[in-house]
Amino acid sequence: MTDEVKLKELRKKIFLTGYKGGMAHLASCYSCLEILYVLYGKGVLKLDAADPGWAGRDRFVLSKGHAGLALYAVMTEAGLMTEEDFASYLKPGGAIGGEPCMRDSARVEATTGSLGHGLPFGEGMAMALKADGNSARVFVLLGDGECEEGTVWEAAMTSAAFGLDNLVAILDCNEIQKMDSVKNTIGEPKWQEKWTSFGWSVEEIDGHDIDAIRDCLSKENEKGKPRLVIAHTVKGKGVSIMENNPNWHFKLPRGKKEMKVFLEELGVREEEME
Amino acid sequence: MQSAYIGKLMELAQQDRNVIHILADSGTGYDEMFRRNFPGQIYNFGISEENMVAAAAGMAAAGKTPFVYTAGAFLAYRSLEFIRDDICFQNLNVKIVGMGSGLAWSSLGPTHHTTEDVAVLRAIPNLTILSPATPRQTAAAAAAAYSIPGPVYIRIGMNHEKEFYPEGFVMTAGKNDILKNDGDVTVFVTGSILEEVHDAVQRLSREGLEVNLVNVTSIKPFDRENLLEMAARSRILFSVEEHSVYGGLGSILAEILAQEGSGSKLYRIGLGDCFAAGYGTLKSVRAENGLDAEVIYRTIREITGDE
Repeated sequence: MTDEVKLKELRKKIFLTGYKGGMAHLASCYSCLEILYVLYGKGVLKLDAADPGWAGRDRFVLSKGHAGLALYAVMTEAGLMTEEDFASYLKPGGAIGGEPCMRDSARVEATTGSLGHGLPFGEGMAMALKADGNSARVFVLLGDGECEEGTVWEAAMTSAAFGLDNLVAILDCNEIQKMDSVKNTIGEPKWQEKWTSFGWSVEEIDGHDIDAIRDCLSKENEKGKPRLVIAHTVKGKGVSIMENNPNWHFKLPRGKKEMKVFLEELGVREEEME
Repeated sequence: MQSAYIGKLMELAQQDRNVIHILADSGTGYDEMFRRNFPGQIYNFGISEENMVAAAAGMAAAGKTPFVYTAGAFLAYRSLEFIRDDICFQNLNVKIVGMGSGLAWSSLGPTHHTTEDVAVLRAIPNLTILSPATPRQTAAAAAAAYSIPGPVYIRIGMNHEKEFYPEGFVMTAGKNDILKNDGDVTVFVTGSILEEVHDAVQRLSREGLEVNLVNVTSIKPFDRENLLEMAARSRILFSVEEHSVYGGLGSILAEILAQEGSGSKLYRIGLGDCFAAGYGTLKSVRAENGLDAEVIYRTIREITGDE
């Protein structure tokens, strides 16, 4: 199966599971899906499926926790979660909910949901690993709207001051937040200048280009510096009516017209909706 | 209290290299002493308390035992969501040490007072809350916190509190400590204000009114058995706290007594529905807010006289 086919399958699976659960941040899931797919499915994260708690494993923190369903989908694909647990999403007595949670899966490295927690949490992990001489790396996926939270910048400052070259933050830069565009909310964000001025190495990539994501994330950081990867993405990627439209932040398709687009573009058959 | 705390923390750091001392620009000479001895086990996050608290959770997730240390107000209020989501929800092994409990930062006013921390924090699952009253109790609280696998909040004073305990005092979570037990009136107290209550109780004793004195060092878990036992043989109970009477020690007593149907009368002494008034020495600010030995003495005298 090609990456393209696999990713379409994952989008379909996320939609079906989210729809049947009755709630999902589909657009956010779709903007960062390629990034998660490369981290877990293309060998970027050093993990040992036979020994998932291995101390030398790389850590991944989904700071924009509302894309949790996408994380769970790629974790299931990577054998870190059972299909049964994944399918229990939002069901009574089910294993998983709308945000990643360490209580629900031992393979989730950080419980998130409230924004602005993942970077400082990942920073602490990176500090502990460094202090132990452990060469594992920590990856944190941030939303661009999330960067309106002050603690992102507190951690940006101190991570650079502590010289955390084992820390990589990935900015899912889809330029849209819940109500509006990021630009209309906080002005031109100028992420490159901001993060550079905070002492980080900064790179920009196409956040839907599998090879570009893999090449960039596989590289080591510049010595003594944390690294930010600005991944330019499309919110709602893969479903035309959702793409770049803030109205779809927290919404499932309603009515025949919307549903038709989802089914056609994600390759879902009517009977799969039951 | 600070030197007692750092002294104990250095002992723990010596035994266990995973013990990490974490500051938010909140250190003093004592902390520099720690740095000289354990340079690889101390981090200063600068003035970013929430960042410090979340990072401590991350460190704990990677196997460390961090002790974060700054003004209680900046932990219990400013960093509340980070304590709740990052530390307590995951039941991670982080010790949260708030200095300057109650009115200890007396010259700086309510932004620095830690007079609602118990109310705010005790609703959070998985969190143990210790409230030592003296330097030796503070050292004991740090040792107890280290031995508890999970989140612990310790509220400590910072004004050269009087000592009432012997060297080597051991604190047990969930156990009250009885300092005087020969009357039919009982006062429960928590934290640094013990010294004021102790004075008041001594004075009452000299006047012939014997008052039992129970020092509550463990807010959560709480020693229910001791409370019910004291209630059963007291004609009235008092709580004294350098904290709001809403949600603090007095509330805990009231909840348990009501649920057990004990029918005991309870009089709560603490801050009412107000921010503390005044500035100056701790003594003067306590007096201005009805929390010094004199007012406590008069209140107990008056209320028990009504019986």
